[in-house]
Amino acid sequence: MSYFTSQFLFFLETVLFLSVIFMHLAKKNFAVIFLYALQSFIVTFILFSSSLKEDSLLLMAVATATFFVKVVIAPCFFFGLMKKHRLQFSVSTYLNGPMTLIVLTLLTAFSYSHFFRPLTILSPYDGNALLLAVGMILISLFLIVNRKGVLSQMVGILSLENAIVSFAYITGLEASAGAQVGILFDILVWIVIATGFASMIYRHFGSLDSSAMQHLKEE
Amino acid sequence: MALLLIIIVPFIAFLSSLLVRKSLRALGCIVVCASIIEFAATLVVVASVLQNGTYNLNGYLSVDALGSVLMMILAFAGAMASWYSVSYLKIEMEKKIIGFSRVRQYFILLHLFILAMFFAIVTTDPIFMWIAIEATTLSTAFLISFYNKPSAIEAAWKYLIINSVGLLLGFFGTLLFLYPAQHTGFVGLISWQMLLSGTSAFNPFIAKTAFIFVLIGFGTKVGLVPMHTWLPDAHSKASAPISSLLSGVLLNVAFLAVLRFKAVVDLTVGKDFSGGLLIFFGLLSIVVAAFIIYIQKNYKRLLAYHSIEHMGIISLGFGFGGIGSFAALLHMVYHSLAKSSLFLSSGNILLKYSSTKMDNVKGMIKTLPVTSILFFVGFLAMAGVPPFGIFITEYSILSAGINGHPVVVIIALLSFALVFAGILRHVTVMIFGDSKEGIPRGEAGVWTVVPPIILVVVLIILSFFIPTAMQSLLHSAVINY
Repeated sequence: MSYFTSQFLFFLETVLFLSVIFMHLAKKNFAVIFLYALQSFIVTFILFSSSLKEDSLLLMAVATATFFVKVVIAPCFFFGLMKKHRLQFSVSTYLNGPMTLIVLTLLTAFSYSHFFRPLTILSPYDGNALLLAVGMILISLFLIVNRKGVLSQMVGILSLENAIVSFAYITGLEASAGAQVGILFDILVWIVIATGFASMIYRHFGSLDSSAMQHLKEE
Repeated sequence: MALLLIIIVPFIAFLSSLLVRKSLRALGCIVVCASIIEFAATLVVVASVLQNGTYNLNGYLSVDALGSVLMMILAFAGAMASWYSVSYLKIEMEKKIIGFSRVRQYFILLHLFILAMFFAIVTTDPIFMWIAIEATTLSTAFLISFYNKPSAIEAAWKYLIINSVGLLLGFFGTLLFLYPAQHTGFVGLISWQMLLSGTSAFNPFIAKTAFIFVLIGFGTKVGLVPMHTWLPDAHSKASAPISSLLSGVLLNVAFLAVLRFKAVVDLTVGKDFSGGLLIFFGLLSIVVAAFIIYIQKNYKRLLAYHSIEHMGIISLGFGFGGIGSFAALLHMVYHSLAKSSLFLSSGNILLKYSSTKMDNVKGMIKTLPVTSILFFVGFLAMAGVPPFGIFITEYSILSAGINGHPVVVIIALLSFALVFAGILRHVTVMIFGDSKEGIPRGEAGVWTVVPPIILVVVLIILSFFIPTAMQSLLHSAVINY
């Protein structure tokens, strides 16, 4: 199914999976953004390999565009946001460290449980890599829920998207080149809009901590 | 040609609005002309669908009976919201609530929003439909934070994050639905028709998993409980015409995505699976919304929760199937008309009372006579009081489920009673209570009452008489459900 051997694909998926785990453990926003850039680089690498497999120039152009959007533009926007609002402080979470680790363990176990195992029929030779991608989806969702910081929530959503793209690659369920361009454009616009909102939130609330936003509750 | 026009016109209107520098009149002319052309083109498309069953354009854009019902709703409610916007924003500018640059931004984003909704309906590719629905989130985020208040920004952020997560899960489900087509070696555009014809190769487990993700994903946009948490905040913070489009049209467009996938999963595993899920989420939405409506203190949030309840009713109808599906689609039409009118009326109330709290709004019959009648009629219609059409559709939906799901029907019926009591309690005080001193009498302008009047008149006409062509369209639309 894929351009890589099963072992190499599993290795790449493991790095992707670990990147989300370390996002949970990272205490600085800088580290979270760096991990996202690394994760996106691997996803782009996978997309390049897909374009080589298909021998498609169009897919290669899409992979190049993905590289610029996810590995260059998105981190630049996030670093710009950090610099603009001096966000050097530690990230904050709803659950403490040990509880976070317990939830991460449970989510990983859940992704390998009987509940998701039947999904491996989508790609029988890369079953382990596929279940890791499922784990990455669940853990990215948990990142969005567990983090109070607006920046971490944004990275969590983009990480979720990377997880879905890697799942699609493993199973061969990739969208057509035209659709991929559309999705990428959506992501680019999303990054611009979300970053704009983050600045607005900082202006109005003096913080990028989503738990500081209490105006709707008070009404 | 007409279908191309429907896509091109909002795009040209968007570009034209970008070029306007100072004239509100020019922005108004653009939006009114665009809405008229879009409506006329929609009529041409619908006429063609009635004649031929579908309206195709190069295989990339296509409208079937279900799509044409949604297009009619969008074109009509969109036109009313557009006309209303011109007058409403002019008054807000005069009151110095907003400046011209914000009005310009509003119209630019409004055209993009309408374009994205039209595209979601007419595209034949599920991935492009997902892209279009995601585009509606992106185009409306700044429309929700329009007034630039902390609460509006909070609501918009919540909307952006929850919907983005939901839609990514929907995207995951959408990709799983592509499995049969891609594993037969097909490369290129995968249409809804192709998904329907490839169900024999679809693994039942994958089909079920895919539908669960799609329902959670697009269900977030529909506002089904428990994925609804963004909806009351977003609908109450957006300006009135945008709320009318969010509630009256966007929820239906997202529901269309669920229905398209439902048809595929039904062919693979039978109707019980998707039906059961729709009944569960539908009933949950009705019950939760009913309790919150009863204790609600903000009339815009009341309308938003009311939308959740009605999306639950529609979900219930499609879950029951048969006559329930027909009634659910008709309910969608009635809900769009009534809810658009109610949200536009809520704009008039906000202009007059400068508050969305029900405690601050009393004696509307004296201060806003036309709006209060529209508001009262709209609420009676939404509560399912006869002779309004919603009474018939709710009755038909419950009838469709009484044999197979009597407990569900009884719970739904009790919830309807609670909603009716809640609405009557709130609305009678707002309309007939003693008005505060110093509030001037009279409507803000003719064009702030004409669009909701048109919506209510059409609602009343359709409650008594459904044209044969429309009946035929509705029947064809639900043939797969």
